[in-house]
Amino acid sequence: MRRFMKLSRKTLGLLIIVMMLLLSGGPGWARTLTVSQPNQQIYQEANFASTPLGAVPQGAKVNLIRQEGEWYKVDYQGTIGWLHRQAVPEAAPAKMDLSKMLFGGPVKETGSDEVALAGKGFTPEVEAGFRQKNPGLAYAQVDKVETFGVDQAQLQKFVSEGGLNP
Amino acid sequence: MRATSFGPTALLLMACLLWGCSGVSLDLPSSVQPAAQIAAKTGAKAIHASRPISDSEEYYVGRAVGARILAKYPLYQDQEVTRYVNKVGLTVARKSSRPNPYRGYHFAVLDTPEPNAFACPGGTILITRGLLKNCATEDELAAVLAHEVAHIANKDGIKSISQARWTEVATTLGTETAKQYGGSAGQMVTLFEGSIDDVFKTIVVNGYSRSAEESADREAVSILRKAGYNPGALAAVLTKMSGKEGAGGIYRTHPPTSERLAKVQSLAPASSASSEKEAVRTARFQQLKI
Repeated sequence: MRRFMKLSRKTLGLLIIVMMLLLSGGPGWARTLTVSQPNQQIYQEANFASTPLGAVPQGAKVNLIRQEGEWYKVDYQGTIGWLHRQAVPEAAPAKMDLSKMLFGGPVKETGSDEVALAGKGFTPEVEAGFRQKNPGLAYAQVDKVETFGVDQAQLQKFVSEGGLNP
Repeated sequence: MRATSFGPTALLLMACLLWGCSGVSLDLPSSVQPAAQIAAKTGAKAIHASRPISDSEEYYVGRAVGARILAKYPLYQDQEVTRYVNKVGLTVARKSSRPNPYRGYHFAVLDTPEPNAFACPGGTILITRGLLKNCATEDELAAVLAHEVAHIANKDGIKSISQARWTEVATTLGTETAKQYGGSAGQMVTLFEGSIDDVFKTIVVNGYSRSAEESADREAVSILRKAGYNPGALAAVLTKMSGKEGAGGIYRTHPPTSERLAKVQSLAPASSASSEKEAVRTARFQQLKI
């Protein structure tokens, strides 16, 4: 019985450590990202269609709270919202290194989990390979079309003059 | 006694499982590793097979499709017309179910008399001078652009990438080769090329499915209403196009069948200018040099 009590205390201690680790959110998430692209916004939800909460200037540092697919939940100067990965395309996937604390060994990536695949697939590098194989395609024209746009003030004037809904 | 010796192991396993759900990689003891690796691989394959195409991947597919179309048709160089089409396009796009795609919407005019319009996945919409001339009013142009925006919002172009090809993309990503080359190995370029073929065939050659067309029509009418345009303008455009199903271009990719027209008419029948403001819009449309 005494031995049972002793082991139970050990078990309880381990349980407390595990629970603390789980509740802490993990040490690996205390991470800062630097926005490297211009004209980026923080959104209320992980969706471009949701309400923009404000602009994040190029070079700004944001605190990463968590990641869901291509979106990062971030804290930027007290504004908490979602930033798309396009703002920080070079950021490595977030990883947590709990193994050293539990087992003392190095982390081994599986190499096939979805986090490791973020930013893979049809990427700018694949586009470059495709363009090399198909030099006759009009990518310069596509780049030109992507510069076409209308600023908000012009659009509002157009909408207003046409009796359209704002 | 049994409980005490089993407790720590069970707790550790439970912790590993919980951390695993949060996307954490753990270095498990060697005795556990083989089983864990098999489980991880099996789980990863299931994820890959069902992985949806991301917004950025859709954007790169759209750029490639646009580059093919623009290799065939030159851009119309009139800046005033291009700016106007972008104003109408953005007015309807912001009322769609997908107002902010990855790099936004962009509209351009192709310098060809052939009436046609193309919704490149990701947000670039190309309309020909021939189709612009077919429109009599700004509201009719808005109807055409709202229909194309709806195809982008519904991801109709990108959905035409064959399931088998997309599964192969996922499988290739899981291989060591793709990992080493960051997913840019020759195999991935080949799969990208095939995907462009799939989308190009749908939006330029064969056309969308009947259900995709009907859904885009429904969304277009809804967009027109929300934006303040005359929702009957879509029926007006389709009426002009009807009876030419056998012709090429837009008549093949967006067949204006009587059945389709009837459905659109039931949603919002064509009507003449319903307001003073509609007349103002028509006047600014007619000032354009198309």
